[in-house]
Amino acid sequence: MSGGFHSLEVIGKDFPIKEASTIRMAIPPELKSVFRFSPGQHLPFRFFLAGEELRRTYSIVNSPDKEYLEVTVKRVKGGRISNHINDNLQVGHKVEVMPPQGRFFIRTASDNYKSYFLFGAGSGITPLYSMLQTILRDEPYSNVTLLYGNRDKSQILFLKQLEALVEEHGKRLKVIHSLSEPRSTWSMSWTWKYRTGMIDNHAVTWFIHNHPPVSQQTGYYICGPGGMNKSVAETLLELGVPKEMIHFESFGGGGEVTLDFEPVADAQLEAVMGRNPVQVSIPKGWTVLRALKEAGNPPPYSCESGVCGSCVGKVVAGKAKMKNCMALEESEVEAGYVLACQSLPASPSLKIEFESA
Amino acid sequence: MKQTKMPILPVEAYTSQEWFDMEQKYIFGETWQFAGLIEDIRDPGDYITVQCGFTNLLVVKGRDQRLRAFHNMCRHRGTQLLRAVGKKQKAITCPYHDWTYNLSGELTSIPEKESQFPNLDMKKFCLHRGAVETWRGMIFVHPKPKPEPLMKWLAGVPEHLGPHEPETLVEYEETGTEETIKANWKIVAENYIDVYHLAHLHSATLNMYDHKSQISSFVGPHYLFWEPLTETYFNQLDKLIPYKRIPGMTDDIIGAYVPLLFPNLGLSETESSWSVFHIIPIGPAETKVVTRSKIVEMSNWDYMKNSARSGSAWTSLMGSGTKYEGGDPETDPMASGNFFAEDVFACEQQQKSLKSPLFSVGATAIELEASVRKFQEIVRDFLEEKKGGEK
Repeated sequence: MSGGFHSLEVIGKDFPIKEASTIRMAIPPELKSVFRFSPGQHLPFRFFLAGEELRRTYSIVNSPDKEYLEVTVKRVKGGRISNHINDNLQVGHKVEVMPPQGRFFIRTASDNYKSYFLFGAGSGITPLYSMLQTILRDEPYSNVTLLYGNRDKSQILFLKQLEALVEEHGKRLKVIHSLSEPRSTWSMSWTWKYRTGMIDNHAVTWFIHNHPPVSQQTGYYICGPGGMNKSVAETLLELGVPKEMIHFESFGGGGEVTLDFEPVADAQLEAVMGRNPVQVSIPKGWTVLRALKEAGNPPPYSCESGVCGSCVGKVVAGKAKMKNCMALEESEVEAGYVLACQSLPASPSLKIEFESA
Repeated sequence: MKQTKMPILPVEAYTSQEWFDMEQKYIFGETWQFAGLIEDIRDPGDYITVQCGFTNLLVVKGRDQRLRAFHNMCRHRGTQLLRAVGKKQKAITCPYHDWTYNLSGELTSIPEKESQFPNLDMKKFCLHRGAVETWRGMIFVHPKPKPEPLMKWLAGVPEHLGPHEPETLVEYEETGTEETIKANWKIVAENYIDVYHLAHLHSATLNMYDHKSQISSFVGPHYLFWEPLTETYFNQLDKLIPYKRIPGMTDDIIGAYVPLLFPNLGLSETESSWSVFHIIPIGPAETKVVTRSKIVEMSNWDYMKNSARSGSAWTSLMGSGTKYEGGDPETDPMASGNFFAEDVFACEQQQKSLKSPLFSVGATAIELEASVRKFQEIVRDFLEEKKGGEK
């Protein structure tokens, strides 16, 4: 174990769809308590590619009663890690994994009587899939209704597994698929029903209106790209769902967001972490985190996607602009907090204070 | 079987205003109360109101399809906000001074606030919350905002009910009843759970069920009961069954499930129907009983065909349909052929004697009236616990 990472062996790999792999890792008995998790939580991974250390976070997709951990990784266009995992990772290989973390999770109880509403898009289904399996297994009185968006049918993760769960649990699980770009098919056996469109305000309103809760104890869990989460949460709030009942986790892809400003070239960064400040020059287009990693002095970091919040710091001089910032509240951004992994210098000099590691 | 010495409750429990008020406060104001069926509040803005002891609650559906329960009382000077039932409200406005609340109970508007209530913080004047839960097609409410969850209160009950899915059954309007009985609510509840009288008061009206094979028990304060069909009824079910057989009602479990959920909700889940029997205390010697029934959806044609066939088979195969022969069915409950009318009669006849100085409970059937004794113990213990020693 180094830096909090444990080495786990890959004991299974399969392809739920062409562009994704499900990686199964064994939990060594002595690490059973270390890797205990609540459905919805994620695992930070560390990889070394071409000498560079890269970290990514993936949600656990299985329920907590197993002797293994599974993550499902979809290929991201141009993504280094997702393609590495899909192409190169094999059974027998070791991966470096940190214990489960995350604030987006549920705790089940056998006498719970709840109606859960899940909203997922693309790989956002991964934490929701863990949640719904666990609910169906642990809470005989509860029910789950899932709205799951994808581009087309070929992109749907866990399609067959969800069908099997509906078959097994009947009324306790309802799955509505929403396809934004469905492909037509000539197949005569096409009886499969789905909604057309994105998961937007209109879709959410329709979904809520047509699926009244069975129990009045409700919970709403959203996982998808930042834009979808915002839209779903706002629609729910507008319909009268109390804020406390709405939970979300962002799956914003760092690589998918286009920059709308030119970062300053060779900005001088002073990063204050602990006793001695670090002075580095930031090459054009590099994030604050990348520059500090290169200098051998990164702040704490984990997902490198603007989601986990580990690399948060406060700008005390100069300006930085972030690509995504899902892990920060609006008030925090206003107060000058930034995520190092998403920050590009917007002024020739920049001073950021990080909490001592 | 333990035979508790009677009386368990004094006769005043069935006749005095003092006891009535005590029960309103400590039983009906402290337990989950039946409020209706889920289809009663169908669309956002629809609402119903329910009396729970001394409080009146309103239950309204929001645009998120969730039900909310509030105390039906304006925060200004206490005026009751909503009457009975209503549809498609966008907001809740008090009739007296037009103070307005949204469907989440938040106070959103006070006329002339600037001049008349300049320092009032509207956030502090939301409607008092109650609790609401839906289960088995029914709506339950509780005056407290965070009471013990309904499923915990009913722990042990769901697994002993029938295979009915009431949400999928249909209520035909004319099947509901409303009756005022001149008797204390406990007399009515005790009659509901009395096993001894089934073969006697209802010898000609409930003779399709095999009372000798009944199985009953208490789980917590709730009473559970099941009895199978008689052999004759079971063997000729196709000819005799009044409506369609309930889906899932297999031969091994077929029968009548007739629990009483404490304090005052009876269910009657039979081979071809599902009903609620709501016992509403009005006064020490006055109780309103509201029943509603649901059956498997049938077309009018099917219904008439079934009734005709079942009606004629019933008389020929099951025997006479009235307790006493020769009476006028219109005026004599014992000649009505209707088991509910028979029960109302028995309850009222019992209540009439309570004020006699010679009234006493002579003895109770060891097994077949054990439920009656147990119910009285539960009421007594519940009151003692809630009052916590005062008086």
